[in-house]
Amino acid sequence: MRTYFQPTANLLPVKLTDHYIFRRILQLIPVLLGISIVTFLLIQLMPSDPAAVVLRVANTPATPEAIAAMREKLGLDRPLPIQYLDWLWHVLRLDFGQSFVTGKPVLQEVMHYVPTTLILTACATLLIFALGLPMGIVAALYRDTVFDQVSRLFAYIGVAMPSFWLGFVLMYIFSFKLGWFSVTSRGSIADWILPSITLAWAPAAVYARLLRGSMLESLGQNYVLYARARGLLERLVILQYALKNALLPVVTVFGLSFANLLSGAVIVESVFSLPGLGRFAVQSILNRDYPVVQCYVCLTAVLFVVVNLFVDLTYSYFDPRIRFGKQEV
Amino acid sequence: MRKNFLRALLAIAVAAVIILPSCARPGTQSQTSTDPTLTFSWSQDIGPLNPHMYNPSQMFAQDLIYEPLVSYDRGGEIQPALAESWEVSPDGKLITFQLRQGVQFSDGTPFDAAAAKANFDQVLQNRKEHDWLGLIEAIDRVEAQGDRTLQMYLKTPYYPALQELTLIRPVRFLSPKAFPDSGTTAEGIKAPIGTGPWVLADYQKDAQAVFKRNENYWGSKPAIEQVTVKIIPDGETRVLAFENNEIDLIYGNGEISLDSFKQLRDSGSYTAEVSPPLNTRAIAINSNRGATAELKVRQAIQHSVNKDAIVSAIFYDTEQRADTYFSTEVPYANIGLQPYAYDVDQAKALLDEAGWQQPAGQAIRQKDGQPLTLDLSFSGENNVDRAIAEAIQADLKAVGIDVRLLGEEEQAWSDRQSNGEFNLIFNDTWGPPYEPQAMVSSMRVPSHADYAAQQGLPMKAEIDRKIGEVLLTTEEAPRQQLYRDILTTLHEQAVYLPISYSTNVAVMHKELSGFEFMPQANQVPLSKLSKS
Repeated sequence: MRTYFQPTANLLPVKLTDHYIFRRILQLIPVLLGISIVTFLLIQLMPSDPAAVVLRVANTPATPEAIAAMREKLGLDRPLPIQYLDWLWHVLRLDFGQSFVTGKPVLQEVMHYVPTTLILTACATLLIFALGLPMGIVAALYRDTVFDQVSRLFAYIGVAMPSFWLGFVLMYIFSFKLGWFSVTSRGSIADWILPSITLAWAPAAVYARLLRGSMLESLGQNYVLYARARGLLERLVILQYALKNALLPVVTVFGLSFANLLSGAVIVESVFSLPGLGRFAVQSILNRDYPVVQCYVCLTAVLFVVVNLFVDLTYSYFDPRIRFGKQEV
Repeated sequence: MRKNFLRALLAIAVAAVIILPSCARPGTQSQTSTDPTLTFSWSQDIGPLNPHMYNPSQMFAQDLIYEPLVSYDRGGEIQPALAESWEVSPDGKLITFQLRQGVQFSDGTPFDAAAAKANFDQVLQNRKEHDWLGLIEAIDRVEAQGDRTLQMYLKTPYYPALQELTLIRPVRFLSPKAFPDSGTTAEGIKAPIGTGPWVLADYQKDAQAVFKRNENYWGSKPAIEQVTVKIIPDGETRVLAFENNEIDLIYGNGEISLDSFKQLRDSGSYTAEVSPPLNTRAIAINSNRGATAELKVRQAIQHSVNKDAIVSAIFYDTEQRADTYFSTEVPYANIGLQPYAYDVDQAKALLDEAGWQQPAGQAIRQKDGQPLTLDLSFSGENNVDRAIAEAIQADLKAVGIDVRLLGEEEQAWSDRQSNGEFNLIFNDTWGPPYEPQAMVSSMRVPSHADYAAQQGLPMKAEIDRKIGEVLLTTEEAPRQQLYRDILTTLHEQAVYLPISYSTNVAVMHKELSGFEFMPQANQVPLSKLSKS
């Protein structure tokens, strides 16, 4: 008789349900649900009655009867939980309703602006790492040298300078005085350069200083000493041992300050006349275009959560103890 | 080893600095080429350009594409436009228009009486939305007689009918082919197709819109072939783009700061113009709330604001001081009203009389232990209004009135206009051709600050009755008398604090010629410009 090979549970390295990534994704469900409730309730807290807003936008006089009729049409007369479930049901199918101002589906409107903001934030993120990381590393390796002082100055200026002002200064120098870029035209890669620099400068400065500090700490650790004692190449010691560990706080802060990047985009979009999501969101808030505001809040919250998920996953890559933490207990 | 690492990093940094700007070269070349086109900028997207609807469509852009039956000329004169001539029946209840022949929409559809009637029907179907405008209410029906004759039947005589037909919206003409398949234009249009001098050729929402000259235009065609409207929300960016030769013309009110205007004007490198007065920057004083319910307090406020200082410090004399709610250039408003002079002593005397005493050693007056505190509401986004509000706060403090500034977002400010929760609120007039008839007509509707501010007047019912009457008068003399009564009462009751008559400013490069200001505040004179 041939016996078939029976796989047993302990042959799999980790059960699927124990897998770190799986657990993290599972944890997102209550978070997203919470976001949806807050987003929904947010509108209830806003000072203007949505029905009155629709009437104002349509230029219809807001008489009590008209408001009552509009409340019924919008379904605002139903109990709150019903309204929420109805709204959630639509949102799950990516239906955020129609804009009060334009009457078009909200998602379609929002998607018109998403690419601009995504490109802008992506370029800025790239710049942050391309400028901030080398600067932090070099500042740590050549501590208290001229370069360190210059990078400190760069950091102070970056943090202290409001981005709208920085935007104008850059525009004045590079567009107006030097003529390298145009102030208004868009459609070419060049148009993203000044806005990305404006958006990236302050975070890059912060990350450079942060990395410098944690690099210095990491360079003083025993594992670095041990690596050097083993006679490893200095480059390998710095990149593989010191830097990999020093990056952890930078990654953490990036996850948390991602929202800052998005909100910074609002000002940058306005200064550089980019048709981005931030500007559209602010305009919608001022117009009290509630469906758009809800969609924007949901999108950014989800984006924020997803970015932080990636941060956590990156974390577990840098520090395997986090990934396997549970099993060791 | 360390050295190598550092070198590598430096190389990356240097490469970045060199490569990034070189990406930019292609972009800069297109901007230096010279073609007979003009670039204009605006702070907001032009919108869907539905001629029968309002925001977010921008009026100047609607005016480029669509035309009225009759047009408004300086001083209130009515000129032929799509209608060549018109005739008003003796009882004032029927207006017969003879339409211009050979006019086409830009899609080739002929503009005839049937097309005009179809447009009117769309607007009338939607009466509720246009209810601020007396004309729409007054129209009973519109009928087409043959190809060229359009008859407009009114329910009651309405003397400003022709004036209100000149408005940029809601009565202008869209090609019937661009009507939506389902329902009415109130729900959207297929495309912005009109008879006007310009055609929308390209549109990228919130980025730019390109208007091409309508080659089949019946009137005098624009000298410029194409106008690109760039959407630039920030005023300082606009100035930089202008100085960098990327835009040819800055036009409007509040599109750039007056500091920038002054700087551009004083540089001498550009042409800078200030328009004649357009409308009144004014503050409505609530006669139905708190201390301002008292006439003497309202009068005291009139005497304590130093308008000349505001005009010179905030407007650099680009605007004129306003003494009355409507400028004397407005039809029927030149009735010799006595201005309230800037007189701090008289203001103090009035407040004393009203029982608001200044306790020794205190800056703020009191009555029955209550301080004299007033709320002044304005839109926080409007920097000019903010500056005026601060000046008023300082002026009123000097006579013992404490002013609380409520700079809120625009919606909250407009909520206050309709619910009356203010003592003082910014409330500009609408300018020609809305003045005075549409403006006084709206004073009867609760959704405006005017209504809320006048609510506490003992003769409010009387004012409303006279407003209703003046719009129905068919004869000149009683109409003038009624306006005289209404405007005099409002002036004497001190419910409006006029500050200045606002203006449009224009700055352009010297190669532009043919510039002149338009009779309506919201028109931009793009059609008359040429570029050498």
